[in-house]
Amino acid sequence: MGEPIISIQNLSKSFGDHEVLRKIDIDVKAGEIICIVGSSGSGKSTLLRCINKLEHQTLGKIMYHGKEVRDVWKEVNEYRSKVGMVFQSFNLFNNMTVLANCMLCTRKVLHLSKEEAFDRAITHLKAVGMAPYIHAKPAQLSGGQKQRVAIARSLCMNPEVLLFDEPTSALDPEMVGEVLNVMKQLATTGLTMIIVTHEMAFARDVSTRTIFMDRGYVAEDAPPSELFCNPKNPRTREFLSRYLAG
Amino acid sequence: MGFVLLSMENPQNSLEWMVFLAKKYMNMFLEGTWLTLYIAVIGTLLGFVVGYAVGIIQDMKVSKEDNVLKKLLLRVLKAAAAVYVEVFRDTPMIVQAMIIYYGLRQAGFNMTPVFAGVFVTVLNTGAYMAETVRGGIGSIDLGQREGAWALGMSPMKTMVYIVLPQAFQNIIPEMANTFLTNLKMTSVLNVIAVQELFMAAKTAGGNFYKYFESYLVIAVIYFVLCFVFNRLFIFMEKRLKGKTDYALAVEYMDNQ
Repeated sequence: MGEPIISIQNLSKSFGDHEVLRKIDIDVKAGEIICIVGSSGSGKSTLLRCINKLEHQTLGKIMYHGKEVRDVWKEVNEYRSKVGMVFQSFNLFNNMTVLANCMLCTRKVLHLSKEEAFDRAITHLKAVGMAPYIHAKPAQLSGGQKQRVAIARSLCMNPEVLLFDEPTSALDPEMVGEVLNVMKQLATTGLTMIIVTHEMAFARDVSTRTIFMDRGYVAEDAPPSELFCNPKNPRTREFLSRYLAG
Repeated sequence: MGFVLLSMENPQNSLEWMVFLAKKYMNMFLEGTWLTLYIAVIGTLLGFVVGYAVGIIQDMKVSKEDNVLKKLLLRVLKAAAAVYVEVFRDTPMIVQAMIIYYGLRQAGFNMTPVFAGVFVTVLNTGAYMAETVRGGIGSIDLGQREGAWALGMSPMKTMVYIVLPQAFQNIIPEMANTFLTNLKMTSVLNVIAVQELFMAAKTAGGNFYKYFESYLVIAVIYFVLCFVFNRLFIFMEKRLKGKTDYALAVEYMDNQ
């Protein structure tokens, strides 16, 4: 599979005395679809935010194509333009239409021409089924629609890796499906994805690798078939039995 | 009746005195109105610029990604901004006007009272607006900023394209308030001999010992000015809100 795109090495993060992440080591290779599961407070979201540099790790480092991403704006911004992120609360720009949301960063960060940016936006909005809504503002959309726009917006940057931070947790149950379907479709395109989720069925069916996090540690890191059917760690077993029962 | 009143040479009651004074000192009142407007508009607009700059500085966080020089510069700027805002919010404008006008004259800077008046208004407005802008920026949820950062936008671009346009819209009512306050606060500038409305009323009233009537004249002028501007701001706010509906892009309907 070759060199990892992102290599997380010995990553630790504390908020004051509270250790949220402890010595995380994860290599992310091209084409992998990694689902991170675990109970609330286990550090999943913080890990994802560290990967995108929205949080500063206390220890350890993040390597991108074998080079450390240092805390310098230029490097961080360049890295982020290649490693996109989709948030639980969508984080669309409320002052802009759907189309403008999808064109802003390609114009201002990648410096594409208006036509190129427009073509990209339309292509990706079509893929998520939101092209008819290009003139709408975020406030006029449902949660599921917003999240699909947010995904399209990230895709416009042509990211190498896309991070998803509980993309369906803020959605009504009937809207979860439409977002998961878009993500399933993305999975077939070969895009590298890291997904923090509570959707166990999705993790089992779509991921190529599942990570179970517990109290800041990577407790188990295995293919989904193993992790879900034959978990090694007793904490994983406990977590899964609670989830699958509920 | 109105015609009779206007031709009155020998005013008998307050209303007649008002008309008499307004007519007699029409030029002075008009010039006072013009100067009041001039100071308020220029002072407020420049004050907004100062306020935005200071508000943005106050909102900036020293971040790990900044280089040493930027960190130092930012710390100094933030400290200076904090002192400026504190001092100007904690002293009355009338005192600021005296200190700045006479202080700068004493230091050898000769300036016209109008210039000093605009200068004081700018500094005063800037200090209040800085807080308003900071609040306006704070009203935009952090998520939108993170959304932009996560796509590789620099904090500066994020501010310019996402945060400020929304903050601006949110603080329009407060900006209108500030302008109306300034329009009226120019009256204190008579202490440094600015020939604005208050000064005009004082002069006109003094000549006939008719202060009540004279100040009533400028009260009407202030009221009309503020009333008109208030409608203007409400109109502007509505316009900026934009449409509440949107059209489906039918050309893409079949690509669901």
